[in-house]
Amino acid sequence: MGTITKLLESLLSGLSLGSIYALIALGYTMVYGIAKMLNFAHGDIIMAGAFSIIVFTATCGLPPIVAILLGIVFCMLLGVTVEFLAYRPLRKASPLAVLITAIGVSYLLQNVAQLLFGTSDTEFPISVGNSALALGSVSVKYSVLLTVAVTGAIMIILTLFISKSRTGKAMRAVSEDKDAAELMGINVNRTISVTFAIGSALAAVAGLFYGMAYHYVGATTGAMPGIKAFVAAVFGGIGSIPGAMLGGILLGIIEKLAQTYISTELSDAIVFGVLILVLIVKPTGLLGKKISEKV
Amino acid sequence: MLKVYNANVYYGKIHAIKDVSFEVNDGEIVALIGANGAGKSTILRTISGLLRSRTGVISMDGKNISNTPAHKIVQMGLAQVPEGRRIFLQMTVMENLEMGAFTKGKADPADIESVFAQFPRLKERRKQIAGTLSGGEQQMLAMGRALMSHPRLMMLDEPSMGLAPILVEQIFEIIGKLHRDGTTILLVEQNADMALKIANRAYILETGRVVLTGTGAELAESPAVKKAYLGG
Ligand SMILES: Nc1ncnc2c1ncn2[C@@H]1O[C@H](COP(=O)(O)OP(=O)(O)O)[C@@H](O)[C@H]1O
Ligand SMILES: [Mg+2]
Repeated sequence: MGTITKLLESLLSGLSLGSIYALIALGYTMVYGIAKMLNFAHGDIIMAGAFSIIVFTATCGLPPIVAILLGIVFCMLLGVTVEFLAYRPLRKASPLAVLITAIGVSYLLQNVAQLLFGTSDTEFPISVGNSALALGSVSVKYSVLLTVAVTGAIMIILTLFISKSRTGKAMRAVSEDKDAAELMGINVNRTISVTFAIGSALAAVAGLFYGMAYHYVGATTGAMPGIKAFVAAVFGGIGSIPGAMLGGILLGIIEKLAQTYISTELSDAIVFGVLILVLIVKPTGLLGKKISEKV
Repeated sequence: MLKVYNANVYYGKIHAIKDVSFEVNDGEIVALIGANGAGKSTILRTISGLLRSRTGVISMDGKNISNTPAHKIVQMGLAQVPEGRRIFLQMTVMENLEMGAFTKGKADPADIESVFAQFPRLKERRKQIAGTLSGGEQQMLAMGRALMSHPRLMMLDEPSMGLAPILVEQIFEIIGKLHRDGTTILLVEQNADMALKIANRAYILETGRVVLTGTGAELAESPAVKKAYLGG
């Protein structure tokens, strides 16, 4: 394989992996920006999304597209329910209490999945196969094209939604100043629910792409991509939506390049090393906001 | 129009508001005067539903709003311009005004035009990020934003804070004009001099209690008020 071909192919698979990270990182960053909390159970919503799609196709026998849509709806309900039951009662509690609760919710979701689906992995029923599109000497898997195209479309829609829609503007207002937002007549609790619903829907889509890429899903499937996406969100600047997109994609590319050119075993260490370097040089992340604006 | 009866508000163990009762009648300008830490902002935050009183009743137009969520109180015609302006610094001037009209659904272009007529500076800067405005402009934006909800009662928390004297004059002129146009005003100030001149009635607040009340003119002549708030 030619040098250029090898580079392009590893960039493309990095872009695809990074798109999945970006989808998850968006959920982390939006919830952080609006509810000011780190939802460490977010990664497990990916797993819940993948398993719910499995149930809707394999058990219920629904066509894939219907199963995917139902899986997304299921995750939105799950995310909103978790927020309502576990996080809302802690709205005025210390950040540490909220963090520990989130870790507890994460284990709870993993254990429920183990109870329902056992400890061995389950096959993911949806796949676009291994066929690839040949572009000159570079071959691009259809699954890569699909992941990148869908993620790109989601990012554009999300950006427009946040910048132009009434709900999106309310989300920005709540993220800046909850009390001032309430004084405008914005229902802060409902806005936080909407944020969890959107983040969880994106996690469900990530779960779909994860299942399609790796073919098997287990109870702890969400943990590693969840942590990587959290790293991506911090890398891009936590709280920043373009930051999560950029951070996720860069992280995926760095990981794939490290695997191709340095070492498969060391790729995770390299990913986390890059994060540490970025945070030393720019503590707020690549596109993070200045912290000085509040007096 | 607005009645606060026997309010007691706490921050944990701190008893910030003690047995406070007062009222604002339709068409009045009422001032709440007190030194820093007297409890003025706490009272406004309680009326707006951001804090709760442990006792008593707060009512608007005879309706008990003591337990109404903050975001529903705006819809009853009660708007607050909070201390320190609290505009959305990362949003544009226009978006801030749209947020003011949040309960109306879409902002009415006629309302935006009337805010711009009141504050021409805001029109020039409508596409600018609010964080880039000067202090006076930010105060105007905070007032314009509150006006977007068509309040019948507007509560202003220290609108003159941190502004140059000429801007203070201008802000008080606008408050007077809003009042003439039919808005009832509850004005919180440390700047007793200006506030007592414009107010029909005023309440003096000390460490969470109402210690004195009267018409603006009466209080401006009162020896106790002169000594404590008007520099002798
Ligand atoms: N968030 C808070 N937590 C604890 N105490 C507070 C808080 N906000 C205000 N206080 C206290 O309540 C009292 C009244 O404060 P405030 O209503 O802000 O006074 P003012 O607006 O008249 O300056 C003060 O003693 C202040 O220290
Ligand atoms: Mg105050």
